[in-house]
Amino acid sequence: MASKHRHSHGDVPVVPDALSAEEAANLAFASDQTLTKHHFTEGEHPIVRIEHLNKSFDETKVLRDVNLDVWPGEVVVVLGPSGSGKSTMLRCINLLETPTAGHILIEDQEITGQSKTDVNKLRREVGMVFQSFNLFPHLTAKQNVMIGQTKVLKRSKEDAEAEAMKQLTAVGLADRADFKPPQLSGGQQQRVAIARAVAMHPNVLLFDEPTSALDPELVRGVLDVIRDLAENSGMTMIVVTHEMDFAREVADRVVFMEDGVVVEQGVPEKVFDHPENARTAEFLGSIG
Amino acid sequence: MSHMHENAMTRGESHHTRCVPALALALSVALVLVATLALLPVSALAMTTNKATARPNEDGGSGVIGAMDTRLTWEGTVGDDEEVSSITLSLPEGATFDHASTRITVLDGLNRTSIDGTATSSGNSVDVQFSEGIPAGSLVRLEITNMQFPADGGDYVVSGGYTTADGQSHVLDDSAAITVIANTPLQAAVSWLDAQPWVAAWNSNPFLGMFFKPQLLLTSFASLFPGWLVCLGIVLACYPFAIVLGLAFAMLKTSRHKVLRAIAICYINLLRGTPLFLQIYIMFFGLPMVGINIDNNVLGVIVMAVNSSAYLAEIFRAGIQSIPQGQYEAAASLGMNGFQTMTSIILPQTVRRVIPTVTSDFITSYKDTSLLSSVGVMELMMFSKNLTTTTGNITPYMAAAIYYLIVTLPLIKVVGIIENNIARSERGGGPRPKRRAVAGASQQASKAEEELTASAEVSHVEAAKPAADVFAALSAPFVSHPTVDLGGVADGE
Ligand SMILES: Nc1ncnc2c1ncn2[C@@H]1O[C@H](COP(=O)(O)OP(=O)(O)O)[C@@H](O)[C@H]1O
Ligand SMILES: [Mg+2]
Repeated sequence: MASKHRHSHGDVPVVPDALSAEEAANLAFASDQTLTKHHFTEGEHPIVRIEHLNKSFDETKVLRDVNLDVWPGEVVVVLGPSGSGKSTMLRCINLLETPTAGHILIEDQEITGQSKTDVNKLRREVGMVFQSFNLFPHLTAKQNVMIGQTKVLKRSKEDAEAEAMKQLTAVGLADRADFKPPQLSGGQQQRVAIARAVAMHPNVLLFDEPTSALDPELVRGVLDVIRDLAENSGMTMIVVTHEMDFAREVADRVVFMEDGVVVEQGVPEKVFDHPENARTAEFLGSIG
Repeated sequence: MSHMHENAMTRGESHHTRCVPALALALSVALVLVATLALLPVSALAMTTNKATARPNEDGGSGVIGAMDTRLTWEGTVGDDEEVSSITLSLPEGATFDHASTRITVLDGLNRTSIDGTATSSGNSVDVQFSEGIPAGSLVRLEITNMQFPADGGDYVVSGGYTTADGQSHVLDDSAAITVIANTPLQAAVSWLDAQPWVAAWNSNPFLGMFFKPQLLLTSFASLFPGWLVCLGIVLACYPFAIVLGLAFAMLKTSRHKVLRAIAICYINLLRGTPLFLQIYIMFFGLPMVGINIDNNVLGVIVMAVNSSAYLAEIFRAGIQSIPQGQYEAAASLGMNGFQTMTSIILPQTVRRVIPTVTSDFITSYKDTSLLSSVGVMELMMFSKNLTTTTGNITPYMAAAIYYLIVTLPLIKVVGIIENNIARSERGGGPRPKRRAVAGASQQASKAEEELTASAEVSHVEAAKPAADVFAALSAPFVSHPTVDLGGVADGE
């Protein structure tokens, strides 16, 4: 509703108000049972709720009424052709983009239309791994993993360092802790970036094509790290990727996007082996 | 001349009164004497000091340097009716005859008379007792070797007195002044240069003598030194302010608020769009007109700081905007606020990127302090201009050039090194892990490896070209000339 007031220019879609937490939880509980392998219980609330999300860049409509609920601990893989709005959706979730209309709720908190400081607080809860790593090149791997902890979470240097070493060990880069990003391979950089995001202990971790910028031989190491997180960390993850085998393996749910809308979603076996939508089938056929 | 005659006449009179009782005779003799003296000033009644000279020191060039052994030559003529038995010569405090030895020469007309004597030194005077009286009209020459003039330098006269055979003491005329150069290592060096044949040959070339006269180069260095300190002082004092101001205006110019942006744009464009020379004139002549009087050096610092800040603002803005958007997004995704993002992510990277350009700007500012000479700031240009005016030689300007270069050349080198380092780290080379030569490997093998590494280095440099070019583009406009616009890279708005 706040977005309606803020974006008065252009033809802003009119969307209903966000559902109440109970209402949304009940609806999602009913609809998502068959769509995900993730186990959730009645009365549980989705951790991320996307309702009627619309995003336009000037006249270009990039997201058109996207609706999606993600359960705590669920691993959602988003597929779709390039330009379908996958990145834009992820970026809306941590407000790197401001939605034009619609609602995003994290733990039933509406994130759209918040003050500056609240945005920063929200972003601690939502980690992001970028396609182009975006490590801080002037800091060592360890410092990259520490800086958010010390500056944002105000952890002590010792605690931050211990956590950094723990996460770097988890991604297999303890011995590269004092290297600066330019001295690391792309795969190593992306693993440091994952460690950096995980060290903040976010509730939700977003991956935007984490292996697309990597040389083929480096992809595997990064996927192994993400798979390990998906299977063992219990963290809620939304992963945009083109790695189909990986998607099939780790996803609790696969979401297929096309032209700014969620065209199809479901458990990986269903979407991959028996796609209902013609476009999904075509896309999977062309990729696989 | 006339003064000397008068002096001689007075003495002659008094002398005569004592010797001849008849006043009339005395008067007539005096008249004759006056007439004679007018014609022959040399033949005096009392002992006269003809000359006193000091020989240049060994290796001392043409000058006499204080506190160094030299030879003082004193000549006097014994008065007509006198017989001199001793002479005392004195120099001002600081001179010393302590290790001197004295040679006596007495000439009667053209004949050398052999008269011995003993010289006794006591500090700044020497007393010579002759073995027999020196007859009237004789020329006495005392050559005192291994004596020293005072270290301070200045014009010194030899004074003293003499005793006649009848035991009377008389005062000697002061000699003409002897110019003594203060004894500094610099003077010693200059004097040494004066004495070198190759220096003479060098200076006989009109070009070399006019632009690179060694002696003047040396003295110029000494005289220009305070001016050089003023230049350095001004640029070093102004630069921290320029950096802070520049950063502030860079922030304003990238601000979201239109008014702040407009203020920054006005400030930057006005200062970059007018010559520093004009800005100096406006401030130095304008402020006193409205009753604001600021010390020249301080005002120089202010003007330079304000001027530099405009250039630095553009450099910083370009640097900040050259940091990829992904860096802001990564910082944001960690929950950093704008201030944290700026101070711990963006600015540290900006600093690395702008160091070459800022250094170039520093070089420019340092050179531009020369413009302050036009408003009376006693900096390098001012000193060298004055020195060139007094010597009529261009060498002081060359000395000034050297003073500028000893700062700028190393900095230019530093800029190059930093640019290379940045290019290398941007491309991902970084300091490579140390590779140890395999144990037991021959010298030859490890040398080959070195060469391999070296050639690999070369190809890396080639690979780094695009990155280096970006920085060259960013800094090039400053390297060549300060007032050239930043051009596409920096002004890409
Ligand atoms: N900042 C932007 N300004 C204008 N158009 C954008 C911007 N970001 C993305 N787009 C457009 O939005 C569409 C969806 O982009 P994106 O979300 O990146 O797709 P995907 O990640 O699925 O490939 C594309 O057509 C893209 O050109
Ligand atoms: Mg994308």
